[in-house]
Amino acid sequence: MSKVVKAKYTAEAVPGFTHRTALEEAARCLLCHDAPCSKGCPAGTDPAKFIRSIRFRNVKGAAETIRENNVLGGSCARVCPYDNLCEEACSRCGIDRPIEIGKLQRYAIEQEKLFKMKTLKAPSKKQAEKVACVGAGPASLACAAELAKAGYKVTIFEREEKAGGMLTYGIVPSRLPQSVVDHDIAQVKGLGVKFVFNTEAKAEDLEAFDAVFVGTGLWDANLPKLKGAELKGVYSAVDYLKQARTKKKDFDPGKRVIVVGGGDVAIDCAVTAKLLGAEDVRILYRRTIEEAPANINEFHYALSLGIGITTGLYPVAAIGTKTKMNKVEAVGFYDKKAKAEFSCDALVFATGQKPEDQSAYGVDVNEKGFVKVKKGGKAGGKFFAAGDIVNGGKTVVEAVAEGKEAAASIIAYLEKKGVK
Amino acid sequence: MAVKKDLSLKYLGVDCLNPFFLSSSPVGGNYDMVAKCYETGWGGCFFKTVGIFVADECSPRFDQTNKEGLPWVGFKNMEQISDKPTELNFEYMYRLIRDYPEHITVASIMGSSVDEWKKLAKMADEAGAKIIEGNFSCPQMTSHDMGSDVGTNNELVESYSRAVAETVPHIPFVAKMTPNCKNMEEHARAALKGGAAAVSAINTIKSITNIDFENNTGMPVVDGKSSISGYSGAAVKPIALRFCTQVQQDEEIQRMAKEGKWNFGHGHEMSGIGGIETWRDVAEFLAIGCRNIQVTTAIMQYGYRIVEDMASGLMHFMDEKGYDHLDEFIGCALPNLIPAEDLNRDYKVLPAFDEKKCIGCGRCYISCYDAAHQAIDWNEKKRRPELNDNCVGCHLCLNVCPVQGCITPGEIKWKVRDENGVAVREANDATHIKFKKDARKEKKLALKAQYE
Repeated sequence: MSKVVKAKYTAEAVPGFTHRTALEEAARCLLCHDAPCSKGCPAGTDPAKFIRSIRFRNVKGAAETIRENNVLGGSCARVCPYDNLCEEACSRCGIDRPIEIGKLQRYAIEQEKLFKMKTLKAPSKKQAEKVACVGAGPASLACAAELAKAGYKVTIFEREEKAGGMLTYGIVPSRLPQSVVDHDIAQVKGLGVKFVFNTEAKAEDLEAFDAVFVGTGLWDANLPKLKGAELKGVYSAVDYLKQARTKKKDFDPGKRVIVVGGGDVAIDCAVTAKLLGAEDVRILYRRTIEEAPANINEFHYALSLGIGITTGLYPVAAIGTKTKMNKVEAVGFYDKKAKAEFSCDALVFATGQKPEDQSAYGVDVNEKGFVKVKKGGKAGGKFFAAGDIVNGGKTVVEAVAEGKEAAASIIAYLEKKGVK
Repeated sequence: MAVKKDLSLKYLGVDCLNPFFLSSSPVGGNYDMVAKCYETGWGGCFFKTVGIFVADECSPRFDQTNKEGLPWVGFKNMEQISDKPTELNFEYMYRLIRDYPEHITVASIMGSSVDEWKKLAKMADEAGAKIIEGNFSCPQMTSHDMGSDVGTNNELVESYSRAVAETVPHIPFVAKMTPNCKNMEEHARAALKGGAAAVSAINTIKSITNIDFENNTGMPVVDGKSSISGYSGAAVKPIALRFCTQVQQDEEIQRMAKEGKWNFGHGHEMSGIGGIETWRDVAEFLAIGCRNIQVTTAIMQYGYRIVEDMASGLMHFMDEKGYDHLDEFIGCALPNLIPAEDLNRDYKVLPAFDEKKCIGCGRCYISCYDAAHQAIDWNEKKRRPELNDNCVGCHLCLNVCPVQGCITPGEIKWKVRDENGVAVREANDATHIKFKKDARKEKKLALKAQYE
């Protein structure tokens, strides 16, 4: 019998550093000149600087660096694909293995919380202009924080009851605990940013604002053509993850769960199912592992929980009654002749998201429905946009980077307008 | 087959299984501890110092320094001499000497008057000690009549050494020196003059390891206060090596040792102490002329078992070097430790950079710019260092480089001097330097060999 990892849905799966282990890890850092890791972070979190601070026993300074550069530093520390970013750039790869930058970032932010640090402060002298942000996901939060730091009055409209967007609704808490997201959002709130929840912003809501940032994200599921898609038990990944997080004990994850997809979201769905008690969980991915967009470590983790991974097949039909599905039929993606049948009572599609209607926000969209922008997120007039709704669905850190850039554009726009 | 070498040697005429001894400290404070250390492989033990005075200790009493998460770089202790009754300590020693006749249990003693020293020496003799060590160096005694205050007072060192030497003339007496002095040689001479057979060094260095900001005092904190006390461990090894070398190189000390009654043909028989953890540390102390080494701090951190790798590592070292006995290399480094004014200043060794091994961290560039001679240019595009003509051959770059074998000693440049001895230009060979006949070639070869 293989020994699988037993984990809790709400408990963070990976233990963090202690003071001593953090210092040991920081001591491995080569403290490079013109450090490649810092160049490797899209959001400019500046790992070289915060690791050096840890190394020289200035943990508070480290937290300050992270928070000033990346208001979602705590969340990014959990969900960033480091192995493609800062850690891939790390010079230490030339000796043995990179510094565990994400884990050090997590440590510094944990200390920030422990010390009840309040790093970000909005200036007491406010600017006259008001800015609205639509959606309370990573791009909006990053944009709002930058604007508030510059003295602008910012209001975020969020149709859900909580802020965070995908961070709050679309990631398994064992990877990103809600407390971490909430702590990041508390920094934004601490800057005086106003949040209006349970409100889908309409065009008229936005009229009173001097600039509008659209960070609505991608919330419509990209479901493939499938017979029986209407059956109970067929979910989109976003629905599945969201229901798991919001319904809590009332959520039935299913007994035999099949998750379709090869990205981090697919793994999050499978992990969610497993940790909530599903007996048999399988990831079904039509291509090969090498082609899968998910971080390989996440695949390892899924496997360690006892989740199966099946490649080369994709589902064509969900079969069952209206109240209950009981099996799924799949065919070969490469070898069209291959056929398989899996019994399952929950079928989750983690096959990407697509935009919803953006017409309320005075922005142009392309043929796929993504918002068209110029450099710096300029979407025309007082409108700006960034994040998944623009880039088609990338990482949190990229959303933060784009949100920051858009904030800079908004400031430039408002300053120019003010001069006139 | 594991490599086996004979590590036995005579120390002050006494047959020792090996040179590895515990130093007088908490690691050898009762029968069971010392018995265990002998079973583990230690050759002997300087038993925890015994006085007429019985110590009353504070709590806590230790602290340590660390760097970059590495603990125990240095260690501080506030313990004094034994807190057990004098008679009990000698009873332990008596039993150890009886039960472990091949192992050398050294009685370490400390008196506060001539009479006390005599009394303790007599008790040590009655316990059967083959060697007695006089502790003139504990820096945290609560009385100024004992410890390191005595060790820097030549009159007291001499008279107390004489008290022991005259009381037990058949037992060699080792005077343990304090590093908290200006010049250890003069105190060592005073000990030998009083009849000591040899000296051991170093005892701990007076220190404050850390400041505690809750109580605004040093560490460890005892009821809101702390005291200066002895520092030991890896951090002090370089200081210990320096003191031992200076004692061993002192002509007067060597003359006194040779002319004294404890001359076994080895000159002064130093016992080296200070930051020893590995076989290499041991070999280093032997290389500067020590015939015995003592360890405490590393045992406090890791236990007696460290002696296993000390012995095995030293045997492998001897095997590699072709030595069969420790005597073949004891003191081998002494002739080559010379005054700075006698160093050859006719050349510089440029660093060679291995571009393939280089990982582009730029540490050499930073250190060379901020702390040396701005001799390294940084190629931003390639992320590689490029040496320019400013290089003086200091090798700071080589010392900071984190990649093994990336920066190595490279080309040798020779100074060409004018008639006043001022270097005016460089040359790629040494043909212009007037060495004694053939010495030039030899020297060049030796240098080459050294750096290759």
